[in-house]
Amino acid sequence: MKKRIGLLFCSLLLVMGTIFAGCSGQSETGGEQNPGQAADQPVASGKKGELTIGVVGDPHSWDPIDTFLLDWSTIATSVFEGLVERTVDLKIQPGLAESWEFTDDKTLQFKLRKGVTFHNGEPFNAEAVKFTFDRLLGEEGAKGPQQANYASIDRVEVVDEYTVNMILKEKDPVLITKLAGYGAVIVPPKYIQEKGDEYFNTHPVGTGPFKMESYEKDNQVVLVKNENYWREGLPKLDKVTFRIIPEATTRLAELNTGAIDIMKKVEISQVSSVEKNENLELMTVGSPTVYAIRFNTKMKPVDDVRVREAIAHAIDVDLLIETILGGYGKRINTFQSDMSFGHDPSIPLREYNPEKAKQLLAEAGVKEGTELEFYFPGTDATFKEIAQAVEIQLAEVGLKVKLNPVDNSTFISELIPNGKAGHMYRQGWGGWTLDFDNTAYLMYHKGEFWNPDFYDEKVEELLAAERSTFDQDKRLEIFKELDRRLYELVPEVPLYQSINLWAVNKRVKGFQPPADERIDLKEVTVE
Amino acid sequence: MTTAVAEKPVPNSPKPKRSKWGKLLRRFLRNPGAMIGMLLLVLTVVAAVFAPFIAPTDPDQADLRARLAPPSWLDEESESTHLLGTDQVGRDLLSRIIYGARVSLMVGILSVLISMVIGVILGLIAGFYGRWVDDVIMRLADVQLAFPFILFAIIVMAIFGAGLWKLILVLGISNWVGFARLVRGQVMAVKEMEYVQAARAIGATNLRIIYKHVLPNVMSSIIVLATLNVAVNILLEASLTFIGMGVDPSIPAWGGMLADGRNYIETAWWVATFPGIAIMITVLGFNLLGDWLRDELDPNLRA
Amino acid sequence: MTAFIARRIVHSLFVVLAITVVIFVLVRLTGDPVAVMFQSGEPTAEAIQELRKNLGLDQPIYIQLAIYVKDMLTGNFGTSFRTGESVFSMIMEKMGATLLLACGGMLTALLIALPVGILSAVKRGSAIDFFGRIFSLLGISFPNFWLGIMLIIIFAVHLKWFPASGYQGPEYLILPSVSLGLILSGILARLIRSSMLEVLNQQYITTARSKGIKEWMVIIKHALRNALIPTVTFIGLQFGTLLGGTVIIEQVFSWPGVGRLVIDAISQRDFPVIQGSVIVLAFLMILVNLVVDISYGFIDPRIKQGGGKSE
Repeated sequence: MKKRIGLLFCSLLLVMGTIFAGCSGQSETGGEQNPGQAADQPVASGKKGELTIGVVGDPHSWDPIDTFLLDWSTIATSVFEGLVERTVDLKIQPGLAESWEFTDDKTLQFKLRKGVTFHNGEPFNAEAVKFTFDRLLGEEGAKGPQQANYASIDRVEVVDEYTVNMILKEKDPVLITKLAGYGAVIVPPKYIQEKGDEYFNTHPVGTGPFKMESYEKDNQVVLVKNENYWREGLPKLDKVTFRIIPEATTRLAELNTGAIDIMKKVEISQVSSVEKNENLELMTVGSPTVYAIRFNTKMKPVDDVRVREAIAHAIDVDLLIETILGGYGKRINTFQSDMSFGHDPSIPLREYNPEKAKQLLAEAGVKEGTELEFYFPGTDATFKEIAQAVEIQLAEVGLKVKLNPVDNSTFISELIPNGKAGHMYRQGWGGWTLDFDNTAYLMYHKGEFWNPDFYDEKVEELLAAERSTFDQDKRLEIFKELDRRLYELVPEVPLYQSINLWAVNKRVKGFQPPADERIDLKEVTVE
Repeated sequence: MTTAVAEKPVPNSPKPKRSKWGKLLRRFLRNPGAMIGMLLLVLTVVAAVFAPFIAPTDPDQADLRARLAPPSWLDEESESTHLLGTDQVGRDLLSRIIYGARVSLMVGILSVLISMVIGVILGLIAGFYGRWVDDVIMRLADVQLAFPFILFAIIVMAIFGAGLWKLILVLGISNWVGFARLVRGQVMAVKEMEYVQAARAIGATNLRIIYKHVLPNVMSSIIVLATLNVAVNILLEASLTFIGMGVDPSIPAWGGMLADGRNYIETAWWVATFPGIAIMITVLGFNLLGDWLRDELDPNLRA
Repeated sequence: MTAFIARRIVHSLFVVLAITVVIFVLVRLTGDPVAVMFQSGEPTAEAIQELRKNLGLDQPIYIQLAIYVKDMLTGNFGTSFRTGESVFSMIMEKMGATLLLACGGMLTALLIALPVGILSAVKRGSAIDFFGRIFSLLGISFPNFWLGIMLIIIFAVHLKWFPASGYQGPEYLILPSVSLGLILSGILARLIRSSMLEVLNQQYITTARSKGIKEWMVIIKHALRNALIPTVTFIGLQFGTLLGGTVIIEQVFSWPGVGRLVIDAISQRDFPVIQGSVIVLAFLMILVNLVVDISYGFIDPRIKQGGGKSE
């Protein structure tokens, strides 16, 4: 104890000294610091076969039907599995189902994998699938946010022990993708019936490659190898610890000290710190999430399409990507990623042209110095910089932008849906089904939660047409027409498709950063 | 919030000595701590008042391509012309820090003024009316004190949105208790005094009693408390930006610059460090001065 | 005295109730929790309605409040909107870590403030006094999140003396405690210094000195003991500030305490958890203040006359 107090005192004295001297010292030695600093980085602090990952947030409820959080999926993907799976590069592959086919328009038949057991020893079979969907579509599911995603399923029928039929209420072109989603992972019937939903919430059991050993909320989740995993020889790791570290600065510090091996969500501002440390590797992955500045198309003066177009021409998106994003972003032409079904690469990017912008503004009769309100979440450090740059660029064409950083949840639940998010606001959307229907319907269909203001007759017609057919070629044609129509109407300025950054200690092998933040640890090893 | 709530009743000297302030000045000139404190504050105030004349450039003038340029004296190729470097969108950091003095002083001082007005009025009401009015106001004070401030601020700003004026208001309405208690204690003590009761008997109004007997006696304690609270509120502005509830980032607020620059600490340290030093100078100034004033003006210490 | 204590307890109950009402209404102004839950899904109007009903949010606010207060009086703080867990057990699970951090902060503050305060008082006007005071004031000249980040970078990343974040053993407590305690140490050192000065000028100290007792004995045995009474009271009153400070420190150091719980709950609009945490935190502060007030009442008999000390 005495020694510790002594240390404490020393630390305090040092802090005061270093805060003054250290700050400037840090940079002066910045040049030659790299090799020296890297040399005394701990090579590995963890044991062989054990991996520690620093993530942003707690998974909260483990029950798959209760959740919508990316923080959940990052961890829970190692515990639960669905009938179908999406690989880290978003391809669909068989999971717990070996194969599937439509026996008629409204019946989807699955052949299930044999010899799979849950972590508690319970067998995986048709009953488990039926139980899972009964639960998801029934009373229990109604309490959570996942049920709504699976509204097209009517019920699941057991055919034999390893065959089930999924009976549909209506056609759903993206059903298979949805079955790889959070709500459709298979849960153990006996376990839940015996232990109850509340227990399941903190003690999840699935069929995945890892099973839960311990969970301390807001602190850490420890998973250990599932010895009976159905994929032969996998997983390769014995133990994975997820540490929950919300503050990016702290997360990077932990990576630098070697306390964690993988860091989720490296901020762009931290990239050069990671690159400086030769034990670390920066990994990038294109994400389906796209960012745009959306307009409130009912508010003056942005109700005028010329004004919206002018703003699109006044923002130098390429410069933003090059400078603020450090190149970690991909410019997009419409409000969907290039992975999305319905993306049309032939739609041009609006060029940066302040002269044209000024001209359009003059035509629309917008006076110099007109004020526009711009809303975005105050916790989004990168977009905060983007917003400031946009403010500066719009000032050059005579528009005065007032920035409003707001609480993210208020932004999502109150401001956007009620049309109170100013003239323009940030919208980031992933379209998790990778089909433009998800984005287009929710963003442009009149009266949708995310669309309090925009309305166009032609767009409505196209949306209805797209939903009425199963013919993918036809749908693609309709989407392309929709893309063009939206390009003309400028309901938003599409900015960029984001690139997610992960930092990984080089002792970790076989890690591939996932596009949808659901990490696959089956093949990962640690040296 | 971290300031001690001064609650000792101030013994009343009905006639403040005339030479009090003059004496104070002489003692001030002999105290190095106070002098340094004053010097630091003068520095900040000068920066705030004469910002347009001192600042090398317009604080809003930006050049994205020159973002995160290092301070000119560190830049080997001496390409950077910015004395303290540039920020995340390429604005001159020195100019923003100079203009930032206005924002930070405004946040600190205005919010404390609001607290002071609320506190003095509530304290007077509680003291003069006593009984249930006093009870209600003092319970209100307890509620205010027991509600964790940061959580209160986060929730209020989640409801009404962030912004400079809202921030000032939130800080203002959640810090009045210390002032109220000071004034209330004084009123209660004064009320019982014979000469005050005599004054009342011959028709002196409450206002007159407040003016003549209450305020002069608590003034010094109020000044001490206010000085220290300004320092605390300047720091709280930074903490709120850290939680994501700060002011518009294009306003050069030191706290915001510090909090938003924290991710650059290992790569472009100047972005956060210089605003941090500016905060330190000002807060230290207020604290040194407040500390000295407390020693001088708090009669309990005049040993 | 009994009457005084009884009155204080009634007052405290009133304050808890008032805080309950305030927080209950405030959280309901922050927006619709159901909308937050659906942020990445495809909500239909019926689904939203159904979920709202399940969470009991379809009732008028005063009925919700009445039900909540009634449950609260039986010790039931409801269940989390997100996980269905009992809010009370969630808070209790986290309270240990938060109290540990608060105590660590308090200990750090005392360890710094005692020597600095005593030395400054004894050597009043000397260089030690001057630098001691500057030092303690420097501690309160930074926002505590910044102090935390600097400590992590210096002592965890570069010097590797302490772990950076998380909670897996006693050494994890050091950096967060210092970040939390340093701020209090400045104020505390100032207080110890002034109460020491006050005591050192008293008659009995002079008497003790004249008896030839060693100076340090005079300071420790006679002066410090008496000077500590106001310090202890003050520490009690500052406990609330410390608890409030843990909210930010927990965020910086990934400390699994109530502060993290409530920040998360606010961002997810998990009303029962926000309400429960704020009420329990407030209750703790009130309890500590109550104990301080009552013990103060025993020490200082003037209180009974209903003098200036706030009630």
